[in-house]
Amino acid sequence: MSWITVVWSMNGAACLTLAAFYFVLWCNQRKSWMHLAFSGSAVAGAALTGFELALLRAQTTEQYGAILRWAQLPVWGLVVSLVVFVRLYLRAGRPWLAWTVCCVRTLALILNFLFIPNLSYREITSLRQVSWWGGETVSVPVGVTNPWILVAQLSSLLLIVFLIDATITVWRQGDRKRALRVGGGLSLFSLIAVGQALLVVWGIIQVPFLVCFALLGLLAVMGYELCSDVFRAAQLARELEASDKRLNLAADSADVGLWEWDIVRNEIWITDRGRSLFGFAASEKLDFDRFRSRLHPEDRESVLNEVENSLRTGAEYRSEYRVVLPNGQLRWIAGRGHVECNGDGQPVRMRGASLDITKRKQAEEQLRMSETTLHESKEHIDLATKAAGLVVWTWDIPRDEVWLSSKDRALFGFSQGEKLTAERIQSVVHPEDRQLVHQLSEDALRTGREIENQYRVLLHDGRIRWVTRLGRVEFDADGKPLRERGVLMDISERKQAELEAARQRHDLAHLARVTTLGELSSSLAHELTHPITAILSNAQAAQRFLDGDDVDLKEVSEIVNDIVIEDERAGEVIYRLRSLLKKGEPQKYCDVDLNEVVQHVLKLVRNDFINQNVTAETDLAQNLPSVIGDRVQLQQVLLNLVLNSCEAMTDCASAERQLLIASKLEKTAVQVSVTDRGGGIPEKKIEQVFERFFTTKKEGIGLGLSICRSIIDAHAGKIWATNNADCGATFYFILPINRQEERQ
Amino acid sequence: MPPSPNPTVFVVDDDAPVQKAVSRLLRSAGFAVAVFASPREFLAQYDPRMPGCLVLDLAMPGFNGLQLQTTLGEKGCTLPIIFLTGHGDVSKSVQAMKRGAFDFLIKPVNAKSLLPAIHAAIEKDAVTRREHAKLSEICARLDTLTTRERKVLEHVVAGKLNRQIASELGVTEATIKVHRAHVMAKMKVEAIADLVRLAELCGIRESSE
Repeated sequence: MSWITVVWSMNGAACLTLAAFYFVLWCNQRKSWMHLAFSGSAVAGAALTGFELALLRAQTTEQYGAILRWAQLPVWGLVVSLVVFVRLYLRAGRPWLAWTVCCVRTLALILNFLFIPNLSYREITSLRQVSWWGGETVSVPVGVTNPWILVAQLSSLLLIVFLIDATITVWRQGDRKRALRVGGGLSLFSLIAVGQALLVVWGIIQVPFLVCFALLGLLAVMGYELCSDVFRAAQLARELEASDKRLNLAADSADVGLWEWDIVRNEIWITDRGRSLFGFAASEKLDFDRFRSRLHPEDRESVLNEVENSLRTGAEYRSEYRVVLPNGQLRWIAGRGHVECNGDGQPVRMRGASLDITKRKQAEEQLRMSETTLHESKEHIDLATKAAGLVVWTWDIPRDEVWLSSKDRALFGFSQGEKLTAERIQSVVHPEDRQLVHQLSEDALRTGREIENQYRVLLHDGRIRWVTRLGRVEFDADGKPLRERGVLMDISERKQAELEAARQRHDLAHLARVTTLGELSSSLAHELTHPITAILSNAQAAQRFLDGDDVDLKEVSEIVNDIVIEDERAGEVIYRLRSLLKKGEPQKYCDVDLNEVVQHVLKLVRNDFINQNVTAETDLAQNLPSVIGDRVQLQQVLLNLVLNSCEAMTDCASAERQLLIASKLEKTAVQVSVTDRGGGIPEKKIEQVFERFFTTKKEGIGLGLSICRSIIDAHAGKIWATNNADCGATFYFILPINRQEERQ
Repeated sequence: MPPSPNPTVFVVDDDAPVQKAVSRLLRSAGFAVAVFASPREFLAQYDPRMPGCLVLDLAMPGFNGLQLQTTLGEKGCTLPIIFLTGHGDVSKSVQAMKRGAFDFLIKPVNAKSLLPAIHAAIEKDAVTRREHAKLSEICARLDTLTTRERKVLEHVVAGKLNRQIASELGVTEATIKVHRAHVMAKMKVEAIADLVRLAELCGIRESSE
C-alpha cells in the first residue's frame, strides 16, 4: 500500500479517535459543551483529511473540482467549532468577531456551492502529476483562481485575528501558560493551514493541499488541554474522595454520624458510625420513618417540630433527644443539620451530623444529682443541728472574727451586727471554766489537735447550760492557723444524769464508809483515848502541883502546853473520822498525793493492826506525782483493801500477819498495791470479787469492793486482784496522774 | 517499916504523851516514877529487888502487856501490875486478872482511881516483900541446923514425943533433948508451938520415915 494512503489514513483515524473519545465524554457530561465542540472539530479534521487524500489521488479536473467543493463543508464545520471551543474553553475572544468569522465562513460556503467547479477556482485547467518520495505521484491542480475565494480567506484571517485577540486576553488575565499553549498553538497551526491553502489556491506554490497535518496539530493542542482537564478532574475526584474519607474518619473518631436525607425520594444516607449510633443494621435501607421510629416517645414531637421548622424556614436544625436502641438501651443524641433547596426554594436535601452525648448528659445528670444531694445534705445538717440543738461556728483566725448563725447569736445574747471576736465569745463561758477553755484553745492552735471538752456557758436569759465543744483548726500551707470550725452541743441533760449517777455513787460510797467505820469504831475510839488520857492526867497533875505549897510554874506551863498539843491530837483524830463520815460534795476533785492517803489510812487502822497483831510495812515511791480525785473516796478504797487484807489473815499465825502497802509510778499512772499473807482468793472467784453482793465474809454484805471499783472507775482508773506466788493475795489500783502537773 | 529503897512506879506505855502525862501525875502525888516505852525495855532494865508497882498499857504493838505479865510471873516476880486499857476488852481483862493482875483501869484514867490503886499496890508490894524477908530469915535459921537437928525438927513438928523420936533415930532420949534445945535456940523460939509455925512457913513436914 502506498505510504501516502497510510499516513493520511492514520491522520484521519487519529482525528476520528479523538472525536469519538470526546463525544463519549460529552455524553457523560452534557453540560461540558466544549467537549462536543472539540469532538466536532475532530470530525471535521477527519473529513478534511479524507478529502485531502481524495484530492491527492484525483485523476480528472472535474473530479478534483467536485472534491474541493465538498471539502468546504468540513472547513466550515472546523472553523465554527473552533470558534465555539475557544469561546467556551478560554472564555475569551470578542463575540462580535466570533459571529463575524462564522457568518463570513457561512457566506463563503454558500458562495462555494454557487460557483462551478468551486469557490477556489473559476476553472481547473489541468492536473499536474508531481512525483513524491518513494515513487509516489500526487495531483496538483492548475487553473484560474476564483476571486470570490477572498471571502473565504477573509473568514480565515478574521479567525486568526479572533484567536490572537483571545490569546492576548488570556495572557493579560495572567494565565500566561494557557494563553501561550492554547491561544498560541491554535493561532500558529491555523496560520500554517490557512497560509498553505492560500499559497496553493493562488498558484504561488505548485504543491497539493497539505492542511490536514496542521489540523492534527490544532487538534493535538486542543486535545492536550482537554486531556489535562480530565486528569485534573480525576485528581480532584481522588482528592475529594480522600478528604471525604478524612472527614468520615474525623467524624467517626468524634463519634459523629454524618447523614444526608434526600427529601424528594425520602432516602437517608448515613455513615456506618451513624448507623451504629441509631442502632441501624449496616445494609438496612433507611427513610425518615425508620429514623422517627428510633426516637424516644417523649422526645419525638420536639424533634419533628424542629425538622419541620427547619424545612419551612431554612433555619439550622438543632435538637437534643433520646433514641431507644433495639436492645432497649437509651442514648442521648445531639443533631445538627441544614436544608438545601432547589431553584424554586423547595427543600430537596438535608445534611447534618449526629453526636452521641449520652456521657455528657449523664455527667450533667450526675452534677444535677450531686447538687441536689449537696443541697439535701445541707438541709439535713440544718435539720440535724436544729434537732440536736447544735451551735455551729467558724472562727476566722487572722481576722479574729467568729461566724455564728443569727439564731445562735440570739441564744447567747449577741446583737446581729456585732463583730464577734474570740474574746467576746469566751465571755459567755462560765467564769470557772474560762481558764480551761482558753488553755485548750491555745493548745489546739499550737498542736493542731482536735479539741473536745465540756464546759458551762451562760445564755442571755441567765440560764447556765453544759455544752460539749468539738473544734478543729485548719492551717494554711505555711502552718499558720487559718480558721477553726466547731460545734457546740447542749449536754445539760446528760450532764445532769451524770451528776445524778455520781451523786448516787457518792451516797452509796458514803454508806459503805459509815459501815466500815462502824466496824472500826472500837479501835478508833481507842485512838481517841490516848490524847484524852494524856490530857486528863496532865490536867490532874497540874491541879496537884498548884495545890502544893511550892508551885513550880515552869512545870505547870509545860503541862498546859502538852494539854494543848494533846487536844489538837484528839481534834485530828476526830477530824479524820469526820472527814470519812461526812458526805461532802460529789466530784469535788483536787490534787491528791496517794502516799498521803496511805499514811492517813495507816493511822486510822493502827489500833486494829495492834489488836489483830498485824504488822504493816510500806514501800512508797518518793516524789510521786499527784492524781486528780476525791481524797476521801480514795482513802475509802485503800481502807477497804487494808481491812479486807487484815481480815484475810485472822486465821494465820501472829508472826505471819504481815501487810505490805506499796506505791509506784507506772508510766503515766500511779499504782498502789496492798499485799497480805492470808489464804488468797479462790482462782475461780478472782474475777468476781469486785462484783456487787459478792462476799466471803459471814457478816459482809458484799458492797465494799464493788464500791471500790465504782470509785476507781469514776477516777478513770483500774482496780484488780491477783494471788501471790507463795501465799495471800495482792489488790492493786492504778490512777492516771495529773497531766497538768506533768507539763509543769 | 520504911521500905528501903523507896518504892517506884514503873510506867510502860508505847504512847509517849500518855507516858509523860501519867508519870507527871504520879510525881505530883509524890511517887518515884520510871518510864519505859515498851515491855522489852522494861524487862531489860528492871531489877526485881526494887519495890513499887507496874502501870502497864495492855495493847501495844508486838510484845504486849499480857505477854509481859506472863514473863514476869514465870520469873517469880511479884511486882503488882495495874493494867491500863483503852477499852473494856472483857476477855483480855479476865485473862489478866486470872494471872494475878492487881487492878484493871480504863483509859482515860482518873487520878482518883489511879492514885489509890497505886498506893494499894505499893502497900501490897511492901507487905509481900516484908513477908518474903521474914521467910527468908526463918529459912536462914533453918539452914544453920545440922542434919541430925533437922531430922529432930521434922519429928517434933510431926508432934512426936522425945522417947518416940529417940527410939526411931536409935539414940537415947537425953540426946534428943539436947538436939531439941539446940533447934529451939537456933530457930530463936521458946515454945514448941512457935517452932511448928515457923517450920510450917518454911514448908517442913513431919518425917515420914
